[in-house]
Parts: sequence; C-alpha cells; structure tokens
Amino acid sequence: MTAARRRKPAVRAVGATFLAFVVFLLLRGVLGPVGAAATAVVVASAAFLWFPYLVLSRLVWTVPLFVLLLFVTVQMMFHVPGDPFATERNTSPEVLAEQRDQYGIPQKGFVGGTIFFVRYLENLVVEGYLGPSIKSQGHSVLEVLLPALPVSLTLGLLSLTIACALGLALGIRAGLRPNSLGDSGSMAFALVGVSLPSFVIGALLLLVFGLGIPFGWLPVAGWGTYGHLVLPAVALALPYAAYIARLARAGTIDVMTEDFVRTARAKGLSERAVVWKHALKGAILPVVSFLGPAAAGILTGSFVVETLFGVPGLGRWFVNGALNRDYYVVLGTVFVECGIVIAFNLLVDMAYAWLDPRTRSHA
Amino acid sequence: VYRNLLALLAVFAVCFLLVGLTFSRQTEERADLVFNNGAEPKSLDPHKMTGQPEGRIADALFEGLTYNDTKSLKPVPGCAESWETSEDGKRWTFRLRSNARWTNGDPVTAQDFVWSWKRLQDPKTASQYAGLMHFVRHAEAFNTYDGQVVALRGDAEAEGDDEESARRRRGILGGLRELAGTPTRPVAAKAWQGFLDAWGVRDVVIRPPSKTIVDAFEREEGTFSAPELDAVLAAFEEETRRREAAAESARRHFGVDEGIFAPDARTFVVELNAYTPYFLDLTAFYVTFPAHRATVERWPRDWFKPGRIVSNGPFRMDAWTVNQRIRMSKNPLYWGADEVRLRTIDALPHDNDSTAFNLYMTGAADWITSYPPDLIDVLKTRSDYHANPGMIVYFYRFNCTRKPFTDARVRRALSMAVDRDLLVQQVTRKGEVPTTTIVAHGVPRYESPPSALGFDPAAARRLLAEAGYPNGRGFGRFNISFNTQEGHKKIAEFISQQWKTHLNIDANPANEEWQSLLERVRRLDYDVQRAGWIGDYRDPNTFLDMWTTKNGNNETGWGNALYDRLIALAADPTRILELPEAERDAFLARLRERPRLEDALSRMRAGDGDAAARLRASADARLQLFREAEAILVQEAAPIFPIYFYMATNLVHPRVEGFHSWVEEDGQRVPNLQDIHPLRDIRLNGPPSPPPRGSPTRR
Repeated sequence: MTAARRRKPAVRAVGATFLAFVVFLLLRGVLGPVGAAATAVVVASAAFLWFPYLVLSRLVWTVPLFVLLLFVTVQMMFHVPGDPFATERNTSPEVLAEQRDQYGIPQKGFVGGTIFFVRYLENLVVEGYLGPSIKSQGHSVLEVLLPALPVSLTLGLLSLTIACALGLALGIRAGLRPNSLGDSGSMAFALVGVSLPSFVIGALLLLVFGLGIPFGWLPVAGWGTYGHLVLPAVALALPYAAYIARLARAGTIDVMTEDFVRTARAKGLSERAVVWKHALKGAILPVVSFLGPAAAGILTGSFVVETLFGVPGLGRWFVNGALNRDYYVVLGTVFVECGIVIAFNLLVDMAYAWLDPRTRSHA
Repeated sequence: VYRNLLALLAVFAVCFLLVGLTFSRQTEERADLVFNNGAEPKSLDPHKMTGQPEGRIADALFEGLTYNDTKSLKPVPGCAESWETSEDGKRWTFRLRSNARWTNGDPVTAQDFVWSWKRLQDPKTASQYAGLMHFVRHAEAFNTYDGQVVALRGDAEAEGDDEESARRRRGILGGLRELAGTPTRPVAAKAWQGFLDAWGVRDVVIRPPSKTIVDAFEREEGTFSAPELDAVLAAFEEETRRREAAAESARRHFGVDEGIFAPDARTFVVELNAYTPYFLDLTAFYVTFPAHRATVERWPRDWFKPGRIVSNGPFRMDAWTVNQRIRMSKNPLYWGADEVRLRTIDALPHDNDSTAFNLYMTGAADWITSYPPDLIDVLKTRSDYHANPGMIVYFYRFNCTRKPFTDARVRRALSMAVDRDLLVQQVTRKGEVPTTTIVAHGVPRYESPPSALGFDPAAARRLLAEAGYPNGRGFGRFNISFNTQEGHKKIAEFISQQWKTHLNIDANPANEEWQSLLERVRRLDYDVQRAGWIGDYRDPNTFLDMWTTKNGNNETGWGNALYDRLIALAADPTRILELPEAERDAFLARLRERPRLEDALSRMRAGDGDAAARLRASADARLQLFREAEAILVQEAAPIFPIYFYMATNLVHPRVEGFHSWVEEDGQRVPNLQDIHPLRDIRLNGPPSPPPRGSPTRR
C-alpha cells in the first residue's frame, strides 16, 4: 500500500477530496453541516490511505465527466420542444413568467440553457441543492429520488441475484454438456426469456400468481411487504437470466477447450475439481463484463415493470421526468444513472482483475 | 479465491438484511376505503392545483363555503351555514359556522376566506385558475392589471439583448408611439395586425371597454390614417391610465372593504361584477377553498406536506408516500364529523390501467377510475360498472390560418362527412355521446342550438365542391396531429377513413409526443389537431369563452367580432339594456333568434317589483347569448370539429354506498357531469373482498 501511495499522490488527493465532497453533500441533510464535514474528512483520509489507485483515479475522472454530461443534458432540454409549465389549458403570460421566475427557468435556447446550467452548478456546489421538482410540487428532487432509490436497489438486487443464480446454473450446466437434452431445454428457456419483453412476462406472472387463475397467492401491485417483491423481481430477472445463461454457456464451452483445462485434466484432477477450480472462473468472465451495464440498468429501475406492478421506484422518474420536461428531475436522474454506471464499471474492472490474472497488470 | 466469493455473498446478505429492515417499518393495515386516484397529485395547494386527481384529494382535505351534496350535487352549506343575496344578485353574504375548525383547532373565520381568496388573485401566487374568479369585483384588476400596466408602459429593468426584451423595455405604448409617429403614414392594417401579434397586445389589453381599441383590433384590411392612429394611441393611453387607477383601487380595497371582505369573524361578503348564476358551483370548487394562513406563510412552497398541512375538511392527511399512497383519516374536529363514516382512506396513484384493474379484481382497491379499454365489452354488463356522460369534450381543431382550412365551407364539409355515431359504436365503445356542438349536454337550463353539421356526406361533397375542391381534387394531403396514445390513433384512423370515403381527401394520422405537440399547436403549426376540454363548472361559459379572438386556448387562429361581443355581453346582460338604441338594434339585427333574446330583455326591464324575476330573465338572456355564440361556433364558422363527450366511468365495489353516477335534480335524473363523488358521504357495507365474479348482471 505504501508503494501505491507514493505513486501519484496528487491524483489520490484529488480523488479523495472529490469523494469527500460527495459524501458531504449526501450527508448534509441527515447529519447537519458539521457532522457531514467530519464524516467527509474521515472518509477522505481513509480513501487516501487505503483505496486502490484504480478507484481514486476513476473518481478524479468522474468530475469533468459529470460536468460535461450535465451541460449536454441541459442544452438538450433547452433545445427540444416543450416546456415544464405547458399544459393543454393555456397559461397567461404573466402567470407563466411568475412560474418561470419562481423555479428559475430562463428562456429556451443556448443562452438560457447556459444560464440555467451555471445556476444549477452553483446551487449544487454551494448548497448541495438539486432543485425542486416542477411536476411534483412541494417536493425537492432529493425528496422524490431518495425514497425511490432504495426501492429500485432492493428490487434490482433481488432480480440480479435471481438472474445470476438461474442464468449461471442453466448456462454452465448446458455448456458442460453441449447438445444434450438439458442444453436444448436451457437454451429454449433462454430464447423465450430473451424474446419476451418483461411486460409480457409480468402480465403472465400476474395472471397465474396474482389474479388467482389458478393460484392468486401474491399481491398484484404496490409496495411494502415481502410479497410485493416477488412478482416484479421475477419479471425483471427472467430476461436477464436468459441472457446470462447464453453467455455462460458460450463461455463454458470455450473454456473447456482451453489448454489449461486440458493440463488440469492431464495431471489427474477429478472432473469436479477441474470445473470448480479452473474452468468456472474463465467461464463467467463474459457474464461479469455483461453484469456491469446490466446491473446499472436493473438497479435504476424499469419503467415498464414499475408501472405494471405499481412499484414506487426510480424508473418512472426517468421516463416521466423527461416527458414532463421536469428539468431538475431529469438532471437528478442523470446523476443517479451516471453514478451507478460509473460505480458498476469500476466494480467490474476490479472483479476482472481478481478473476483473470492476465488483466491484472493493467490495473 | 472462494473466500472472496463468500465475502461477496456476505455483502449480498447484508444488503437483503437492510431491505428487510426497511420493510418491517412499512407494514400498514389496509384503509377502510382504497381507491385509485389515477395519478400522483402535482400539488395539494388548492390555489395552485389543477386537475381531477388533485381535486379528489382536495375535496377530502378541505371544505369551501359550500360542498356538493352526493345525492343531488347541489351546493349545500359547508363552512358557511347560510347565505343571502342582494336584490341585483351581485352581493353575497355568507354566515360561517361557529363550529368550523382547522385541524389544529383554530376556528375557520371569514378572515381566512378573505386571505385565501386574495391569495388566489395575488400575482405572486401564479395561480392558473385565478381567472375563474375574475367575476368578483376588483379580482381581475388585482390579479392582472399591474402586470399589464408594466407591459404597456415598459419595464426599464427587463434584461436581455434579444428583440423580445427590447420590446419589454419600451412597452406597448412606446412601440405604439413609434408606429403612430412613423413617417410612412398611413399605416397598412396588415402592418398594424403584425404589430399586435409581435407585441402580444391582445394578451395584455384583454377585453378593452374602449370602442376605438376594439375596432382597431378588428380591422384587418385597409389603412390607418394619421388621425386614426393618433386616436388609437390616445385610447391606449387612456386605457393604461384606467387600468392603473383600477389596480390602485384594487390594491386599496380588494380584501379590505370591497370585492371580498369580512365585517366580522363569521360574516364573509362577496361582491360580484354582475349576477353570476354559477357562482355557487364554484364555492364548492377547490380554487375557493380556504388555506391556513400561518401554515402557508411558514412554508410557502410545501406547506401541504404531511406533518405540516392544516386543513378544514372531513379528512386530514396522515401520510403521503410519493408514487405509493396518500393516507387520510377522519378529521375529528370537522363540524360534520358525526356524518363521516370512513375512518381511513388510501388514495393510490397508479396511472396504469391494468395495475388499477388488477388491484380492483383482487379486492385491494374498492374504487378505480380507469381500466384496460379492451375490457369494455365485458365490463359494460357488470353491476359494479358505473358510467355517465361527463363534461369533457373530445374535438379536433382546424388551423384556420392554413389553406385549405381558411375556408369555412371546407371546415363544415369535413365536419359533415364523419359519422360520429358509428365512431362511438365501433371505435370508442364506452357509450360516449356523439356531438356536433361543444357545450356539454346536461348543463342546467341550457340548450345548444340545433346543429346543421350532422352526418350528411352528399351535402358535404357539395360544400367541398363549392369551395373549389370537387371530389376532393386539389385538396392536398394533410396531417391529423394527436398525442401518442392508442385510443387517439384509432379515432384518427377512423376519421381519416371517413374523409377518404366520403370526400376523397387524404388525411394522414400523425402521432407526436405530448409536449412537442402542445408547442406546435401554440405556434399554429398544424393542420388538424386532436384536443380535449374539461368544463370547470356547469355553465356554457366554460366551453365558450375560450373561442374569443386570440384567446390563449383558442389556438385555431379563428376569430369573429360578433362572437367576441356575445361572450362579453353574456358576462353581464344588463349592459345590452344600457346600449344606445341604434347600436342595440344593430346588434340585435345580427342575431338568428332575435325574438328569444328580446323577450328576455323585456322581462329584465319590466317587473320592477319582482327582483327574482328580473334575475331569472337576466339568466335567460345570458343563456340565449351563449346559444347565439355557440351557433356561430359550431354551425357557421366551424373552426372546431366536436366529436363526442367522454364517459365518466368507474368500477366501484358493491360494498361502497353513496356513490352516484346519476343524480336527482329538480325531479329529473341527470348525469353526474363533473364525476364528483364526495368521500365525505361514502359508507361501507361489509369487509373488503374481491368483487363478485361469476355471471354478470345487467343493470
């Protein structure tokens, strides 16, 4: 670790500072400025001392990335047709001007967009304020996204687990005995899973397990009990499970013909040991690289599944925010999505380094 | 290596544990009544909200001077225990209940109403619905004149380098002076109209009383000579001074001793500009609900959150989890708490029809307002399906500034070439009421003019030929723009088919995302557009005043001076009596049903002893003026193409009592036009359960 610390301390410091800043912004509402600052300092020092260089250098890169992304998003919003205050019932110019003023929305176009962007950044950095929601009045963006985040994380985590467990089990089994009956069965399942969109799967699940034809065990919509989790999680997981199964099968077939597997067999290891100790790690590499973006997608919620099952998750804010031109919510969702994508790509890179010795030197 | 895998599993386990913790807090028992509200309310501030889902919650949490009785939908005493009107119908004195209380124990006083109604009109509140109450004396001046005067005189502080800001700095009067002082006098009417549009003059100088201005607004051909321009400028300056004075007077008196005021804590006086027959409909509408001053002033933007909100209705808010539910419970301090039967209510925000329907079918919701449209044929026969024609009209706009729709004959021909009966039977199928007129059927005492634009393909072809397009030749292809939705698409396809069959013209159904369509319509950049309009109160005015020239909701580019005049006079029919005789005669001569109006006018003049009879006559004259206006709109000019009135449909569990789709009014069975179902009067009979399946019963 000390060697790592000596290497490029400036980058480490910037990354740690940035991390501290994010922690401070997130916690200020909960702990107050002093508590948040104290926590941020602790986190920053810990990060500076112990975080891998990979993580910290990534964090440094995220700063310009976020700024650029926000700028592009703001400019896009200020150039597409539509207006956060437009409704079918026309609003008088005075009322419109007053509303624009109250929510700090300048006129459309590049200049307006830039003014908005500067104001937004200022609010964010100085006050840690993500702005108000325009279509859900009386709520700030943080207030609508923060309760939705754990909902989507819960659902996403569960689906991800189901998808991995089911997909890997089916895929690896199939890959170990290609062209067997089990293989065809698994791949038939995968084909169906990949082709059927989740709202069809969701509707089928609802019909069988929710509406009582023939079972009716589970609540059909809503949130709040364990029962509410099951159907949406399965509906969300099945397409991913199918895709993972196909990747795992291909990976397994590939890896079983590799030299190191032959070597392992040749030195007399049992088939079980060959598979568990050597082959598996190679077999799941494609799955791991797929999991990064997949996890980001699954954790930020799915509009279709959330709407169908009445889950109060993040997904609908992504879609409705954009449809309603709810500018601050759109930027808030950009933050969440971007943060999760970056975090998961980082995790995948770290997992790769751990799983595949050949990539370790690059890290 | 597998140690790491175990670590990963441990992380997952911890995550799930955390999830489990968040859940254990949330297990709540089912509320007495669960209904699906169809959307998450955008706001619960009665003075800023619009829309039906918001209204349902507001009606439960707040109470105005009156509320609508479930059985008759008539206004009955709410916060006010009684009221009386002056002889001319302009002054209303409400006596408040002594036992009306806020949820925090404060008494609801007349000052609360004064403050709330004033807040509605305060320009800083930026209420979209303030205009609804502009018939209250001083309200319009208080709400809009200050802004208008700034627009007229110019705003020296307006920033920006673009043309728009430069205009704002100079003000309309500044621009007008330049126009009047231009060396190239006389000025062409075209240039004048261009000036009016570019500077948005009609948006600022709304309903000018000055005849010079009205005439100038209307002149689209010829030129303005130098003296005429000077006269127009003088009239605008005079109008500016008048508005300044009115704004000043409103600032001094509105909410103090004129317009609305409170002589004592239990007396609330409202003065109206003219006798307004639908006034008592609005005292039960959320714009007139009181808000608790101390609470609003403490948290101006988000005072309506749980834990903060102080309300005065039959229910109070316990919890509001966005996208999950609003939990309300009975308000023990409500003056009529003894009559309220529901202890708790959950309002769900699901906007997906299938979700709502699934909840209903499993007994998790007792009342839903939407269901998958494909199920209509099955549901129609069930006893728990409630439907009645509503006060929402589905119509198409024609862009009257774009050829060939500039020609009224073309618009009439298109309207006559569509079989609306077939449309509602085959395409929409909910039992919608096909219509060729725009005012909702069932508005009390009003009868729309008989339409000449019913389905008549032969006449439509003749009309189109007259307009220069025999058998659709040379008509060109055009778009029917609608916001992306399956139902709109089917209707557009049907209508396009009908036009092809009967007129041999090609209309292309073109879907577009909602917001971008709205913007396109506002720019008048469309051919034909689908639209809907919800009436706010049961009076023709809510469907007709939007079609005056350049009204913000008109958006067809169509305008008609006589129409504008009729609508303006309907606001106060006594003004017809005040007109000089020659002018009155000229006005009456242009009407189709002159004797009807003259009869009402003579009754208004006579009967000096009987004030009530005079008011009735004034109301008759008013409705007759609307009838004349509607005739111009739907028979003669046809800038719009009414299609049908929506059905208000609800699925309501049989255990819910006090839900009426049809009500008794003056001995007649009339539809619950506004789809109002006060939760205050709903009772439950039996525990929650899935609705009966089995063999359906037809009512």
